[in-house]
Amino acid sequence: MLLCVCIPNYTLAVARRDRPDLGDVPALLADKPDRGRVVALDERARGDGARVGQTVLQACASANDAYVLVHDPIRSRAVWSDMLDALDAVSPLVDDSAEGLAYLEMRGIDGDPQTWIDRTHLALHEFDLPVRVAVGPSKFVARAAAYVDDGRICAQKEAASLVAPLRIEILDLDPRTIERLELLGVRTLGELARLPHGPLVRRFGKAAATWHARACGDDPTPFLPRAHELQIDASLYGEGTADREEQLYFALRMLADRVCSDLARVGKGAAMLYATFECESGEIRRIDVGLAQATADPRTMLDVVRAKIEGKAFQSPVTGLRLQAARLEELGTPATLFAQREPDTQAIALALARLEAALGAEGTSVCTQAAHRFERRFAYEPFAVPAGGAGQSVASLARPVPQLRLLAVREIAVTMRGNAPALVGSPPRAVMDCAGPWRIEEGWFDGPVTRDEYDVLLEDGELYRIYRQGERWYVRGAYD
Amino acid sequence: MPVLLPAGPKREAFQALKAGLDLGSARRSVFAGDRLVPTGFDELDRALGGGFSRGAIGTLEGAGSSGRTAIMAGLLAGATARGLAASVDDGALYPPALAGAGVRLERLLVVPAQNAIGIARAADILLRSRAFEIVVMPEVQLQATVWSRLAGLAHKADTLLLTLGAQARTELAYFASVRLGCAIERVLWANESGPFCELGGYDICARVLKHRHAAPGASARIRVMTSNTGGFLRERAVGERHFFTTARTMAI
Repeated sequence: MLLCVCIPNYTLAVARRDRPDLGDVPALLADKPDRGRVVALDERARGDGARVGQTVLQACASANDAYVLVHDPIRSRAVWSDMLDALDAVSPLVDDSAEGLAYLEMRGIDGDPQTWIDRTHLALHEFDLPVRVAVGPSKFVARAAAYVDDGRICAQKEAASLVAPLRIEILDLDPRTIERLELLGVRTLGELARLPHGPLVRRFGKAAATWHARACGDDPTPFLPRAHELQIDASLYGEGTADREEQLYFALRMLADRVCSDLARVGKGAAMLYATFECESGEIRRIDVGLAQATADPRTMLDVVRAKIEGKAFQSPVTGLRLQAARLEELGTPATLFAQREPDTQAIALALARLEAALGAEGTSVCTQAAHRFERRFAYEPFAVPAGGAGQSVASLARPVPQLRLLAVREIAVTMRGNAPALVGSPPRAVMDCAGPWRIEEGWFDGPVTRDEYDVLLEDGELYRIYRQGERWYVRGAYD
Repeated sequence: MPVLLPAGPKREAFQALKAGLDLGSARRSVFAGDRLVPTGFDELDRALGGGFSRGAIGTLEGAGSSGRTAIMAGLLAGATARGLAASVDDGALYPPALAGAGVRLERLLVVPAQNAIGIARAADILLRSRAFEIVVMPEVQLQATVWSRLAGLAHKADTLLLTLGAQARTELAYFASVRLGCAIERVLWANESGPFCELGGYDICARVLKHRHAAPGASARIRVMTSNTGGFLRERAVGERHFFTTARTMAI
């Protein structure tokens, strides 16, 4: 048996619910405030001549006392999502057909149909919307029962008689098809059911087979339960306070074990953890812990969480603790042929988290880029474990080239002789060899920089890159 | 009753014994190949008995311009070709030059740290991860207990912890398995002086100052050159430089 939850004119009902001051005033729902079109309207506005699809101006010309509301699809979807979550308390299998229309599979649920209906009303009571609930053998029949009367229970044998007097509009046909059927004298489902199946399908196409079945009280549409967003968490409240680090880690270990046990049961791993700490002072702190790869290993989880909370100070003892697993993924990583060469992503993620916690510095990788100035020839970026590519020959890669070590830029004393530096530093040391100058001019748009750079070999064997900017000399690095 | 020999024959006997030790043979077979991290320079690898040993602390020592970084770049190029490497950076790292030496920068984790404690903590965390073949750090003054801890972690992680500095202090010198002193012997210039002249490269002399599994004293000469040098190279010999040059030479 299926239970149908139907809210007629759902979007308008939600919009009206948010404006209780409107009372019984007829209302139109427009898709946008300016030059919008009517997407829904109530019976009184329809009675005044307004129709769906008209512009707001056209509709207001017909129903001039109607109040125009603007459709808020995000709000509407959020309310419906909350209602579906509430319906989970009635049955674990909920088919989300459309906003304002849901079906619940009630086989195996305790109680009789009337109890189910009462329970559903109770679950949705807080939403304050005109909910109609009915029970039927199939989706269409249950919906038709809800259309006929709130709380209607229809058995399989009554299905055909229940739907027979209903008008064909309930089949959600397009106006052109309705017109064609009416020209044939078919206005109700009973009349449609009496038509021979074959000629009807030949004339109206495959869809007509479904109309005919529904008109006969059968519905071939399958029940499609919505996918549940799995939530796995574990918490400790009311079991004393933790004012020492070890106590906190002990509690975290228990929670990590519980969470991982649940994760393993559903064959998933968590790529994100939320650890929430409630303190005696009322302070609630949530720490988001990202994992490089989804895991269901309690030790890894605990290590990463520990690394994240290292150095964090709480104002008062912790009284509550919650560990929530998020971004759940199917477990299992593809095995590589040379797995021993592949980096351990978990270990690296843990190291990065520890570095961030201990030093406040994120581990980075560097990339080179084209630029004239030394300091702009490279940039830091977040470290990501590169996939594959290891195991190349060293001989093919190693190229012995001079290396420059950057020194903190500082001013130095330089004595020129001719056009080249002769003495550098204090105490001055003679320049044995000098290369340069190489002029660098750039940044005219954001502060011009003009430099003359030199490589100098000093008498004591030091090999420096120095530069002159304006009248001042600076040291930039040493070849090493 | 012991027989006292005269001083002359005793000294001669000792010299003969020393000559017969064949110190070179001790350097030839130290570890199996997979326990070594080759530097990428054949002559230096021979001097080291195949390379730096994994699971230990190695030092590269020398003055500001001594070629330490060029040897480090060779080690990193090999390590990043095989897996991952990490470097605790005190601001001296110049990645474009490392990339020029063949280091795959995307496989090099760079951790900025400024003070000695920060550098030690970063090295500690990187070693604990056991994910890197080499961890490079600047040589800083740390207590012997810290070096002992780092040496233990390097051993457990089977990682080479490489330090760069002017001269290893007593504590580090004790815990280091391999110490390599570096100095530039010759500087090569492409063309005569002036704007058309540029640094062509330099010759590095690397000497094994300490090797836990072999006798010290072996040396190797390495030539590093820029890729764009033309045909003419002018050599300038650098005066006799001591391998224990202190950090004062960095100040100009």
